[in-house]
Amino acid sequence: MTWRDFRPTRYRKYLIPTLAVTLLSLGAARVCGVSLQKLQEGLVTSGLFIARMFPPDWQAFPEMLEPAFDSVVIAFLGTAFGTLMAMTFALLAANTIAAPWIRNTSRFLIGLERSLPELVILLLLVAAFGLGATPAILTLAIGCVGMMGKLLADVIEEIDPVTIESMQSVGANKMQVIIFGVWPQILPSLISFALFRFEVNLRLSVVLGAVGAGGIGYELDYAFNTLAYHRALTALLVILVLVFATERLSRGLREKIKVGDPLK
Amino acid sequence: MSLANFILPSKKYRQRASVSGLVILSVALACAYIGFNPLGFFTEFHFVQDLLGEMLPPNFDALWSSSSIGFSFLQTVSMAFLGTLYGGLMAIILSFLAAANTMPFRVIRAFARSLLSLLRVIPALGIVLIYVIAVGIGTFAGLLTVVTITVATFGKLFTEMIENAEAPPSEAIYSVGATQVQVIRYSIIPQMLPTFIANLLFSFDLNMRMAVWLGVFGGGGIGFQLYLAMRVLHYKDATAYIFFIIVLVILVEKVSDFLRKKVLKASA
Repeated sequence: MTWRDFRPTRYRKYLIPTLAVTLLSLGAARVCGVSLQKLQEGLVTSGLFIARMFPPDWQAFPEMLEPAFDSVVIAFLGTAFGTLMAMTFALLAANTIAAPWIRNTSRFLIGLERSLPELVILLLLVAAFGLGATPAILTLAIGCVGMMGKLLADVIEEIDPVTIESMQSVGANKMQVIIFGVWPQILPSLISFALFRFEVNLRLSVVLGAVGAGGIGYELDYAFNTLAYHRALTALLVILVLVFATERLSRGLREKIKVGDPLK
Repeated sequence: MSLANFILPSKKYRQRASVSGLVILSVALACAYIGFNPLGFFTEFHFVQDLLGEMLPPNFDALWSSSSIGFSFLQTVSMAFLGTLYGGLMAIILSFLAAANTMPFRVIRAFARSLLSLLRVIPALGIVLIYVIAVGIGTFAGLLTVVTITVATFGKLFTEMIENAEAPPSEAIYSVGATQVQVIRYSIIPQMLPTFIANLLFSFDLNMRMAVWLGVFGGGGIGFQLYLAMRVLHYKDATAYIFFIIVLVILVEKVSDFLRKKVLKASA
């Protein structure tokens, strides 16, 4: 290793991008109020704070079980109904099945949903339906449309058109094509996406819970707000176990189905 | 021939029927438990109609009537940008420390690995609540959360990618007498960097959406303003904010898509 490996002239073509990113980040740091001093103090404070949260309040543990179960049920129902909705949108968004104008409308709606943060949807639905599990389940279901709808539509479009054409040539109508030609081919991907989305939805249901959907997220937020930090740590540990367990479960089942990771 | 055999002739069909039956049954039970009526969205649709009546038309004046709104949008974008940048840099550094083929010392490797796994399971809500206590309510707390989540999401992924790097180039360089550092510099970094940058650009718009909801829990930015507007029932202002959030997220997505294609093309 010599100085040649890091000679400045080798890196000339990276100069402008690096400069641009540096300038932008300096501006952004100003906007965000980044300060090293605050960070230093903050790290010490959060270290002390986390130490003070120990030990967890095991007395509160039994009270956490029902909210935790509620969160799982909310995530489950959100995924179940969301898969149904995503399936509908995906069928309408695939060019092998739907007319171009339907396809474009459906793709537009999927894209629109993708760019809308789930919490915004929840705030709207809470304003419409009031607090409780219903708006949270609807939010998670709508949230599925953006990701799963797009992935499924792509999977449907990748189906070999020969299959569909051969069915049509022997007189199958649209419904029959979907049930006997499309459905069996996309089922493995559908299940795999749904399992992955369940993982995401469980994490989301924790956040949504804090805004009024109930469940374990609400317990965590409430414990923080009432300064019951030992209790908060218990809730945090319960969430940790839940997230870890669902991740393992969904990974294991997905391995069995053997469809690629939806993120890739 | 029993009736069941007549209706469901093959074993495969019986298996499928029982699985779908089980799923439907558990959905029904879960609905009953939590008190969710799936048709409620349609039968109670007048609530949505009422809300839409109050939200429309959007009050776009709210966007420029006070300068704090524009600044809030800027804060949210800055949070996402800096979070991706700092978080990405930290994830890259940590992944080099955690990968078996770049870090010879087992102790450091084990430490980096356990740090990454620990971060991965802590829920984002817990992280933001702790940071708000540590550095106070505001954009800085939100930024630190985005950084932490980005490290958590990408640290493990990057580690795996480094460990799966093509071995032949490294071996070739090593065989002509390169040191360990030179192998990393001339084989592993050139292989990995484009993919890393492409991944991080992809997370830019994920972080953008996260920056919005962090605002509700004290992370500052437009999420906070939106939450406030909804809380004081200024629905027409809220519609304008939501509209602008969508425009911004789509814009960020397009920009990061463009840059990602450029990076991948330059490396190919």
